[in-house]
Amino acid sequence: MELSEPQTPPKTKRGRPAGAPGPAGLFLLLKPYKGLILLLLALTVAGNGLNLVVPRLIARAIDGFRRPGFDLTNTVIQFALLAAVVFILTYFQALVQTYASERVAKDLRAKLVAKISVQSFAFVEQITPAKMLTNLTSDVDAVKLFISQAIASIISSVFLIFGASILLLTINWRLGLSILGIIPVIGLTLALVLSRVRKLFKLGQETVDWLNRVISESILGASLIRILHTQNIEFEKFSNANEQSKQIGLSILRLFAGLIPIITFATNLATVVILLLGGHFVITGSMTLGEFAAFNSYLAILIFPIMILGFMSNVIAQASASFARLGAILTAPDQKPALNLLTMLRGDFAIDNVSLAFGDKEALKNVSISAKAGTTTAIIGPTAAGKTQLLYLLIGLLEPSAGTVTYDGQPLVSYEKEALHRQIGIVFQDSVLFNLTLRENIAFSNTASDTDIEKAINAAELRDFIDTLPQGLDTVVSERGNSLSGGQKQRVMLARALTLNPKVLLLDDFTARVDSSTERKILANVHAEYPGITLISVTQKIASVEDYDQIILLMEGEILDSGTHRHLMETSPEYVQIYDSQRSTSVYEVQA
Amino acid sequence: MKYKLDSGQGGNTPRPKLTLRAGIDRLAPLMPGEQKSVIVSLLAILVSSLASLTAPVLIAGAVDTYIRHKDTHGLERAALQVLGVYLWGVVASYVQVRTMGSAGRRLLFRLRNALFTKLQQLPVAFFNQNKAGDLISRLNNDTDKLNQFVAQALMQFMGSAFMITGAGIFLLSLNTRLGAAALVPAVIVLAITRMTSAWVKGRNVKSLQGLGGMSSEIQESLNNFKVIVAFNRVDYFRRKFEAANEVNYNASTAAGFANNIFMPLYGLSATLAQLIVIAYGIRLINAGQISLGLLVGFLMYVNSFYMPLRQLASVWSSFQMGLAALDRISDVLSLESDMSVTTGETLESTAVLSFRNVHFAYPDSKDILRNVSFDLEKGKAYALVGPTGGGKTTTASLMARLYDPTAGSVFLNGRDIRSWKPEERAQKIGFILQDPFLFSGSVRDNIVYGNPELQDYSSAQLAEVLEQANLTSLMERFSEGLDTRVATSGNSISLGQKQLIAFIRATLRKPELLILDEATANIDTVTEQLLEEILAKLPEYTTKVIIAHRLNTIDNVDQIFFVNSGEITEAGSMEHAVDMLLHGKRDS
Repeated sequence: MELSEPQTPPKTKRGRPAGAPGPAGLFLLLKPYKGLILLLLALTVAGNGLNLVVPRLIARAIDGFRRPGFDLTNTVIQFALLAAVVFILTYFQALVQTYASERVAKDLRAKLVAKISVQSFAFVEQITPAKMLTNLTSDVDAVKLFISQAIASIISSVFLIFGASILLLTINWRLGLSILGIIPVIGLTLALVLSRVRKLFKLGQETVDWLNRVISESILGASLIRILHTQNIEFEKFSNANEQSKQIGLSILRLFAGLIPIITFATNLATVVILLLGGHFVITGSMTLGEFAAFNSYLAILIFPIMILGFMSNVIAQASASFARLGAILTAPDQKPALNLLTMLRGDFAIDNVSLAFGDKEALKNVSISAKAGTTTAIIGPTAAGKTQLLYLLIGLLEPSAGTVTYDGQPLVSYEKEALHRQIGIVFQDSVLFNLTLRENIAFSNTASDTDIEKAINAAELRDFIDTLPQGLDTVVSERGNSLSGGQKQRVMLARALTLNPKVLLLDDFTARVDSSTERKILANVHAEYPGITLISVTQKIASVEDYDQIILLMEGEILDSGTHRHLMETSPEYVQIYDSQRSTSVYEVQA
Repeated sequence: MKYKLDSGQGGNTPRPKLTLRAGIDRLAPLMPGEQKSVIVSLLAILVSSLASLTAPVLIAGAVDTYIRHKDTHGLERAALQVLGVYLWGVVASYVQVRTMGSAGRRLLFRLRNALFTKLQQLPVAFFNQNKAGDLISRLNNDTDKLNQFVAQALMQFMGSAFMITGAGIFLLSLNTRLGAAALVPAVIVLAITRMTSAWVKGRNVKSLQGLGGMSSEIQESLNNFKVIVAFNRVDYFRRKFEAANEVNYNASTAAGFANNIFMPLYGLSATLAQLIVIAYGIRLINAGQISLGLLVGFLMYVNSFYMPLRQLASVWSSFQMGLAALDRISDVLSLESDMSVTTGETLESTAVLSFRNVHFAYPDSKDILRNVSFDLEKGKAYALVGPTGGGKTTTASLMARLYDPTAGSVFLNGRDIRSWKPEERAQKIGFILQDPFLFSGSVRDNIVYGNPELQDYSSAQLAEVLEQANLTSLMERFSEGLDTRVATSGNSISLGQKQLIAFIRATLRKPELLILDEATANIDTVTEQLLEEILAKLPEYTTKVIIAHRLNTIDNVDQIFFVNSGEITEAGSMEHAVDMLLHGKRDS
C-alpha cells in the first residue's frame, strides 16, 4: 500500500545486511520471527476479516426480517458465533503481539550486549555509556512499541482499507471510487510529515543521552556537589537538557497535532460525499436504503484504519529513528579473529618501540621495556607521564599506535583474549567495585575455586576485615563500593587479581591507599604464595621498590633512565631528586 | 538514614491504594497554570464530541426526512450542515491535541526538574542505598510514561467518557428498553475492568521495576567496562545482563498480557451489543413499538457508544502504566532529607571545628565512631592517621556534614553544624575527596566549578589567579592547559591529574577549613612537595586536616590524631603515631 511505502523503499530492502540500520532494517530485524509475525498477521487478518462480516449480517437482518421465511434465531446464532470467534482471534492476536514484541526487544537487547561485550574499552568510551544506556532501554522500547502497536495495526489497517474499499466498490463502484479519492491525499500528507519528524525524534533521543549523562554525573559526584553546595549548578545543567527535550517534544507535537485533523477531515469529507451522492442514488433508486446503511458501516470500517495509520506514523517515525541509532553498535565489527594462542605463559614480556597517540597527542614515545619471567619491574615518574597507559597496553585495554607488546616472544594480539586475561592480573588505580557480594567481587565469576579465593584473601591481608563482617564474604558491597574504605577497596581489587593465580601481575599505584606496614606484608605474601610471578608495579614510592630487578623512570611519555635502584642513584639526577623528595618518609620506614 | 527505594527486590512497603482521583490530586501540584489548558482542552473535547454525536443525528435525520422523501435540495442543505459540524470537530480536536500535548510536555519538564531537584536535596546516604541506573530510569522512562498518559490518554479518556455518557443517554432516551439492553455488555466489561485494575497496575509497576533493574545493570557494567575487559568477565557481564533482561522480559510480558486483554473484551462487548439491538429491535418492530428508521439510527448510536468505549480500552493500559510510573516517581518525591537546617546549640569555644561526644554508624552496621570529642584550632594543621577502615574518611565526612552524627554534635565556629545554611558551610569548608570526581568538560570547567567568583573570568584572568595562588606550575601537567578535555569515566586523564584538579579547585576557594582525604595519594612525590609549598602559602587562618598513609605528607602538622576502633586519640609526636600505627590495636 502506498501508505507504508515511505518506510520500505525497495532499493534499500535488498541492499542492506540483516539488522542494518535504517527504516528497512526495522523490517529485516523481524526476519528471524517470520513464523511469529505470520501468525500475528493471520490472527489479525482473520479477526478483522470476520469483523467485516458484521455489517453484512446487520444489513441482511434489516433488509430481510420483513420477508417471509426470515429466521431470527438463525441470525442470532450466526451473530453470536461470529462474536465469539472474533473475540478468541483478537485475544490471541493480543497475546501473540505482546509475546512477539517482548521477544524481539529481549533478543535485540541480548544482541546489542553481545556486540558490546566483544568491543574494546575504547569503543565503549567513544560511544559513551550514557548513549548505550539509552540504546538498550529507550531505543529498544521504541522498536518494541513498533512491533506491539504498529506492525499488526499497519498490516491490518492496510488489509481493512483494501477489504472495505473492495466492498464499497462492489456495492456501488461510482460512490466507492469517489470515496477512495481521499486515500492518496492522506498518504501524501503522512509521507511529508514523517520525513521531517524522524529527524526530530533522532534529536530527541540524543537529548535523552544528554539527560542520562547529567543525571549519572550528578549521582557519581554527589559528595562533591554537597560539599561545594553546587546543587543549583547541576540543576541548571539538567534544566538545559530538559528544556531542549521539551522544545523537541513540542516541535514533534506541532507536526502531529496538524496531521491528525487533516486525516480526520479527509475522512469526514468522505462521509459527507456518501450522504450527498449516496442519498442521491437512493433517491434516484439505483441503491437500496439497506445498501446505503451498509455503505455507511463500511465507511466507518474504512475510516478507522486510516486514522490508525495516522496515529501509528508517530510510532513508525520514532522506531525507525531509534533503530538507526542502534546502528553504531549493530554494525560494529565482531571480535578480531586472533591467532588463538592458548599456551600457558611463562611470564616474559617485552614492550618494543611502542608509541601511543590520542589524536595528535603522544602519550608514549618509543618506549621499550623487557623483562624475564619471575622478575620485578617498577615504573616510576611524575603524574601524567604515561605510566597507567603503559599498563593498559600490557593488558590490551589500549592498542599501541606503533610498536609491539609481546609475551614470551609472541605478540599480545596473537593470544586468545580469554587465555591471556586468565593469566595476567591487574589492580587498577581507582577501585571499581560492583554491587555484588564480596565473594563475587573477588572471584568475579563462578569458576574460581574456594581455595584460590581463600589464598588471595589471605595474601591481600583481607582476612581480619572479612572476619569482622557479620556476613563475611557474603556481605553485599554497595554500588561503587561506597560502604568500604579506600584501603579496603584497594585490597579487594588485589584479591580479585590474585584469585586468577596470575603469571603476570600489574599493580597501578597499589601502594597509594594502603599503609606501609600492610603494604609490606602484602608484597611479602605475594612473593611467598605466588612464586615465579612477574611483577610490574607503577608506584610513587621508591622505598617499596628499591630491591626490584629494574626500575623504569618515565617522564612525559619517554623512558628517561632505567636500571636497578643503585644504578639509578648513581646515574640519574632526576631519580635522585625523586628519592630525596621521599627521604623524610624513609626515616620512618627505617624505624618500622 | 533509610532512603532505600523499592526497586522490586523484596522489602515492599504496602502503599495506599491509588485511585484516579488520588492520582490527579497528586499530579495537580505539578501542573500549575495548566488549569487553562485543561479547561480549553475540556471545552475542545466537548465540542469535538458534540460534533461526532451530532453528525450521525443529522445524517440519520437526512436519511429519514430527505432521502425517504426524495428531497434533493434538503439533502444538499443537510450535507452542508454535516460538513460544518465536522469542521468544528476538526478544529476542536486540533486545539485539544495541541493544548494537552503541550501540557504533557510541560508536565514532563516539570516532573523531571522536580525529581532532579529532589535528588539534589537528598543527602549522600541516599545514593549509597540506591542504584544509579534505577534512578536514571525513574527520571527518564517513568516520567515519560506519565507524559504519554497526560498528552495522549488523559483527554481521550475524558473525551471517551463524555462520548459514552452522551451516547448512553441518547440510547436510553430514544428507547429505554432497547437502550438498557444495549448497555448491558458495557456494564459487564466496565465492572470487570474495575475489579482488575489494581492487578493490572501491579503488573505495570513490576514492569517498570524490571526496566529500572536492567538500567542499573547496564549503568554499572558499562561505567566499569575496563574491569570487565581486563578480567575477561565479558561472559559474566553477559550472564548478569541476560538475567536482568529476562526479568524485565517476564515482567513486561506479564504487564502486556494484562494490558492487552481489554481491547478484545471491549470489542466483544460492542459486537454483543449490536446483536442484542438487532434481535431485540426486530422483535420490537414486529410488535410495532419502534420504526425501522429508529433501529437504523439506534445501531449507529450503539456504535457511537461502543467506539469510544473501545478507545477507552486502548488508553486503559496507558492509564495503568501512568499510575504505576506515578507511584515510582512519588516514591522519590516523597522522600525527605533528614539533614535539614535546624536551630542548634552553640559552644563556648575558639575552635574552628569541634566534635562533642560524637557517635556515628552507617545504617545496619556497627559503630564507626564512639563518643569522640576533639577541637581544631584556627590556622593549625592536623593529621588523621590510622589503619584503613579505621574511620578517617567518616570523620572527615562528618566535618563537612556529608552525614550527621547518630549522637553528639559537630560545631563549626562554635555553632552546631546543623544550624549552618549549606551555602555558608560550603564557603567555609573545602574537602578534597579520596575519589576525586570530575565533570565532563574541560579542566577549566572543573577548576571554576562551584566558584561563582571565577565563573566568568577570561583565560588570562584565570591564569593570573592561578599564578597568584602558585598553581601555575601544576597546569603544566595538562597537555592543553586549561582547555584539556576531561571525561568522567574513561582514561583521558589519570587519577593523579584528577587529584591535581581537585586540589586546585579546593584551594582557589580559600576555605577556612581544608580537608585533604588522601588527596595526593596518586601524585608523585616531587609534585607533592610543590603542593605542600602551596598549602603552606594558604592564608594563615586556614585550618588544615590531612589524611594520609604516606607519613611524609604530614611531617609539619601541629597535631596528629590517631583514628581507630571508633576512637580518636591524640598522638604526642610523629614517632608516637607511627608506633601506634604499627603496634596499636588494629581493627580493619
